[in-house]
Amino acid sequence: MKVRLVLLWVVVGIPLLWGVMKTLENALKLFQ
Amino acid sequence: MASSFLDRQNTVAPPGFDRFLVPPAALAVHLSIGQAYAFSTFNLPLTRLIGHSHSAPADWDLKQVGWIFSIAIVFLGSSAAVFGRWVETAGPRKSMFTAALCFSGGFIVSAFGVHLHQLWLLYLGYGVLGGCGLGIGYISPVSTLIKWFPDRPGMATGMAIMGFGGGALIAAPLSVMLMAHFKTALSNGVLETLVTMGVIYFMFMMIGVTAVRVPAADWKPAGWSAPAHPKQLVTTAQVAVDMAWRTPQFWLLWVVLCMNVTAGIGVLGQASPMIQEIFSGRVTPAAAAGFVGLLSLFNMGGRIIWASTSDYIGRRNTYMVFFLLGILLYSTVPTLGHLGSIPLFVAAFCVILSMYGGGFATIPAYLRDIFGTYQVGAIHGRLLTAWSVAGVLGPVLVNYIRQYQIDNGVPKAQAYSVTMYIMCGLLLIGFLCNFAMRAVDEKYHYRGSVQS
Repeated sequence: MKVRLVLLWVVVGIPLLWGVMKTLENALKLFQ
Repeated sequence: MASSFLDRQNTVAPPGFDRFLVPPAALAVHLSIGQAYAFSTFNLPLTRLIGHSHSAPADWDLKQVGWIFSIAIVFLGSSAAVFGRWVETAGPRKSMFTAALCFSGGFIVSAFGVHLHQLWLLYLGYGVLGGCGLGIGYISPVSTLIKWFPDRPGMATGMAIMGFGGGALIAAPLSVMLMAHFKTALSNGVLETLVTMGVIYFMFMMIGVTAVRVPAADWKPAGWSAPAHPKQLVTTAQVAVDMAWRTPQFWLLWVVLCMNVTAGIGVLGQASPMIQEIFSGRVTPAAAAGFVGLLSLFNMGGRIIWASTSDYIGRRNTYMVFFLLGILLYSTVPTLGHLGSIPLFVAAFCVILSMYGGGFATIPAYLRDIFGTYQVGAIHGRLLTAWSVAGVLGPVLVNYIRQYQIDNGVPKAQAYSVTMYIMCGLLLIGFLCNFAMRAVDEKYHYRGSVQS
């Protein structure tokens, strides 16, 4: 159950983190 | 076989099931349907399907293409209202599966529309079919999460609804990357991107479909028992959906949501031109895009932070903060523009957008407090019609008043001031409705047996 829990959070977390990183990269242009 | 897998009775969790498996299942659905916020990335390419690098005379114009998103939002609200009760009876797995079929199907039908260059197929595909997927998908995990987390309903629904805000952060760069990947001399890659995204989102939503479970009828968190003396405005009674919308509380909450969303959605849609016009010559288009990205991040973060906070300070107090702080910030924005302070201007709008997201994420738990858990998903569905109205009202207020001001000789940099004060007025209406909230009269309470 624990492995499944970690796996499921990783599966949804990776795309979300990728999206947040891409957005932050873009947002930094505001302060340049 | 397939229908039995989807049936509610086959999704009841076995003893020892970890309830923290349910939020990522809900997130898988909300991260997918949150793509809707990034649909504008397709707008320009859709106007260049024939001309490729420029718009040819036979190409669609931006106004025609803009209707795709508007139809989707209208169908989001109406399908959530119409299918809300079915979602409650069918259970989360069947409704998430239906949402996946509709949402992904919307992409495929739209791809056909691009292939045949028939705009009505995009209205029907992404607008109607996709919009129904948005509405059903949005409400499908809500009541399940509330039942799994009776001790922290705000945090639980906040996690899922955060996904709807986060979906745009993924979809915007993903669709740009895919269009660049599929671009050829004869195509700008829209058709292939729509098909690819339809397939990707179907598979991603299926993760949620297979992982979601409902708690057993007698289940409660280990070591937790319902408080003997619930907090003020937290009911232990149940109200059915058909009765709920006859109560004044439903309509007070409808106005509360509508005013909160109107105040945020108009700004979100006009954020890029607004900051460039207010700080003319000081903010480049690239920097303005960064501002939009920052607002999206706060829109997403506000959902989990404010909804979780509401578990401690109460739903009504959370909305009091939204409205009072919103009035304060909106009324100071014109001054910040005159002072030329970009950091303070950006900070003010980041907080405003965090409260816009927070409003969406806190409302399911507010409904649960007022109407109980019995048909909270269906009641939530009907309340989302407020979103459809706000989706029209917000942009109209910002765009039309700005244009009216400019037509009457007001400089572009000051054309938003009146809109900001009107937003304050709308937030004041929301504040008064929230202030008037009381417990539901006993005559509306449901007397029958309540299924888990």
